[in-house]
Amino acid sequence: TPRHATPSIPSRSAPARKPGNVLEEARTRLHVSSIPESLPCREQEFQDIYNFVESKVIDGTGGCMYISGVPGTGKTATVHEVIRSLQQSAEQDEIPHFHFIEINGMKMTDPHQAYVQILQKLTDQKATPDHAAALLEKRFGAPAPKKETTVLLVDELDLLWTRKQNVMYNLFDWPTRRNARLVVLTIANTMDLPERIMINRVASRLGLTRMSFQPYTFKQLQQIITSRLNRLKAFEEDALQLVSRKVAALSGDARRCLDICRRATEICEHSGSQKNGSGLVGMSHVMEALDEMFSSSYIAAIRCASVQEQLFLRAVIAEFRRLGLEEATFQQVFVQHQALCRVEGLQPVSVSEGLAVCQRLGSCRLLLLEGSRLDLFLRIRLNVSQDDVLYALKAD
Amino acid sequence: MTRAPDVTREQRGQTKRMSVRLQCPGYPEDTLRSLADRLPCRDTQLETLLQLMGQPDQYSYPSIFIYGHRATGKSHVVLSVMKDLELPHASVDCVECVSSGLLFHQVLSAFFGPDAAALLPRCPSLSDFVRLYKQMSSNSPATQTRYIILDRAERLRDMDFSLLPALLRLQELVSDNVTVILLSEIVWEKFRPNTGCFEPLLFHFPDYSKAELVQILSWDHHPSYTPELYASYINILLGVFFSVCRDLRELRHLAVLNFSKFCEPLEKGEAKESDIHKLWKNIEPHLQRAMQTVYLREVSSVQWEQQQMDEEAATTLRVLSAHAHIELPYYSKFLLIAAYLASFNPARTDRRFFLKSHGKIRKTNFLKKHEKTSNHLLGPKPFPLDRMMAIFYSVVDSRVAPTASIFSQISSLVTLQLLSQVGHDDQLDSPKYKCSVSLDFILAISRTVGFDVVKYLYDFL
Repeated sequence: TPRHATPSIPSRSAPARKPGNVLEEARTRLHVSSIPESLPCREQEFQDIYNFVESKVIDGTGGCMYISGVPGTGKTATVHEVIRSLQQSAEQDEIPHFHFIEINGMKMTDPHQAYVQILQKLTDQKATPDHAAALLEKRFGAPAPKKETTVLLVDELDLLWTRKQNVMYNLFDWPTRRNARLVVLTIANTMDLPERIMINRVASRLGLTRMSFQPYTFKQLQQIITSRLNRLKAFEEDALQLVSRKVAALSGDARRCLDICRRATEICEHSGSQKNGSGLVGMSHVMEALDEMFSSSYIAAIRCASVQEQLFLRAVIAEFRRLGLEEATFQQVFVQHQALCRVEGLQPVSVSEGLAVCQRLGSCRLLLLEGSRLDLFLRIRLNVSQDDVLYALKAD
Repeated sequence: MTRAPDVTREQRGQTKRMSVRLQCPGYPEDTLRSLADRLPCRDTQLETLLQLMGQPDQYSYPSIFIYGHRATGKSHVVLSVMKDLELPHASVDCVECVSSGLLFHQVLSAFFGPDAAALLPRCPSLSDFVRLYKQMSSNSPATQTRYIILDRAERLRDMDFSLLPALLRLQELVSDNVTVILLSEIVWEKFRPNTGCFEPLLFHFPDYSKAELVQILSWDHHPSYTPELYASYINILLGVFFSVCRDLRELRHLAVLNFSKFCEPLEKGEAKESDIHKLWKNIEPHLQRAMQTVYLREVSSVQWEQQQMDEEAATTLRVLSAHAHIELPYYSKFLLIAAYLASFNPARTDRRFFLKSHGKIRKTNFLKKHEKTSNHLLGPKPFPLDRMMAIFYSVVDSRVAPTASIFSQISSLVTLQLLSQVGHDDQLDSPKYKCSVSLDFILAISRTVGFDVVKYLYDFL
């Protein structure tokens, strides 16, 4: 490929700006990328993983661990923290030295690239996937007295799935070798991934050392935000509580929680310029941010649609009612549409215009449509519930 | 009935057309005038097209979609505008482009020469094309609008799904003064991708009316006769053919084929040019016959012309559809008859037709409602092999052993496409077939073996 066809990230010319006021300061601290030194509310999990890896490193044996949990529960951050503190104690010669490697299934074009990346990070060697697999096999299989333990972190494990599952098999088989001295920590989102997608011989090699990260409760979320803000007075207590309760009720995702807080600071800043309040992020700002994040845009889209588009949606619902089905052809809906046009006192539209209206609604996914080649016979279904459509149409 | 021609009307149309004056700044006026003369009956379309294009250095609309029936002069008008005004254009027929790479290659070589097209990688993607186009157009920026003309654009829908939306906003993508003109017989509604796209400007080319067809067809009159004679000939021709055919190309082809027959009385001295009625009487049955033979391509044009030379009656010529007779082995014929009977008779009437001691069963009493409608209208029904063999043994009088040759004859009937296998899930165990021959064919076959099919067909009871 030509050189100018490869994408790249533009480099930053000026250094990042220092935060000017309290809200900006709060915003940098609440950014997802600024991970704190120690994660609050994950002490138990931290200790478990720490003990597991430490014991393997001290004994010079190998093993696997499977870590699961919904997104935003701090799995990767906790493992990184474990490794960091293990590396510190290794520097102080409390435990033997070890080698840490991290691979991410999402960053690979092909599952077999995992071999290549592991080999490159271990030995700075470049090889084809097959060759790399053979080299790794030799390295982990052969006895070597002065070998140090390798800790391998596999993030997004489910993307390493292949039809024969040989990549997963090898990853879990190497630690069971006598001379391998390999500790594999795997992270995925679902708890039952080994049972669901792995064949028996892979799942049994993964072993039973499992850990699941529970979603954060609202108290934990509140604690995370307060610990991040670190006595910076930017939020009202009630506002924080509202955010954490809302997020905990829906997903328990810490990243989502931080995003909402950041957005609320922005809203506060904008509104603060007009009328000078307390300078803190209050209830109303948080409510607005929550609304932006959680409310569905479909209703807004229907409200902003043109007259004919709204009429067409009404025709769709009228036709569904008549048929008693959740599906109708364009021809059927169009007859209703024309009748509605007459009732409303509008000029009835032509078939082309009607189809254009229908396809515009389909392209913004308010309707689910078949291919446009079928014209009159293309089947229409609603992508939103009928109640939502009726609510949106009734309001005006 | 056809009517005698009216010559004066299209002459009036011609004089009216000459008075139209095309005005479009930026283009040489005499070229425009000659262009308008060369494109009869397309004045408004030509004018609209020129207005859409604007002056050569102005930005035109990003994409124009031109649609209309076959032979309404879509590509002819667009291409002759491009050629006569010497505008930079790439004309691509989408049928030729089996992959999008060929399309990109043709466009780049038309705009920037073959060297630029050679820079494309082996399987070029859309981004390769856009990148190369940008690179080339920054070297030689457009002084005039560049036009990409995509004929038979309906094929674009079957190519890469991002190709059509990208071409529609190519002007934006390559940031160059380029306009894409799509030509198609299909309306735009059938093109629109489900994810939406930039809407092109729709532009319809209407069909030619009868008067316009007369005017266009009388354009190429024979040099040895007067234009008035040719115009009256065209009028007679349209009187016969206009109700079935409005395709200019087809009519023109027919006009050329039959003109020599029209002139025959003149050459022989039996009639004068003014005896339109006599000429009409002479040619009319001939044209009626042409509609049944040469128009359906049952007789090729060469045969038709030869036959006119030889003064042979047209009916003596064996037409293509009469050749539908195949020599088959004896048992294959019976197999085919059995298959036809199995396909077009309801299974519950088999007892009545093929068993010797059947009871007296009336036609209407025991059949379901859908079986009462004519089976020949509904088409052949699938039947299992067992049923066909049972009928076969019943219709063949002699004792036939079910040898390998009988079964191989069934499969060779399938390869000859006289039978067709339904549901390819099972090849050996009880396969199902359908009979795909017409009634005429099976009547001819059964006549050769002396078997009366009609007696055994439920529809003709």
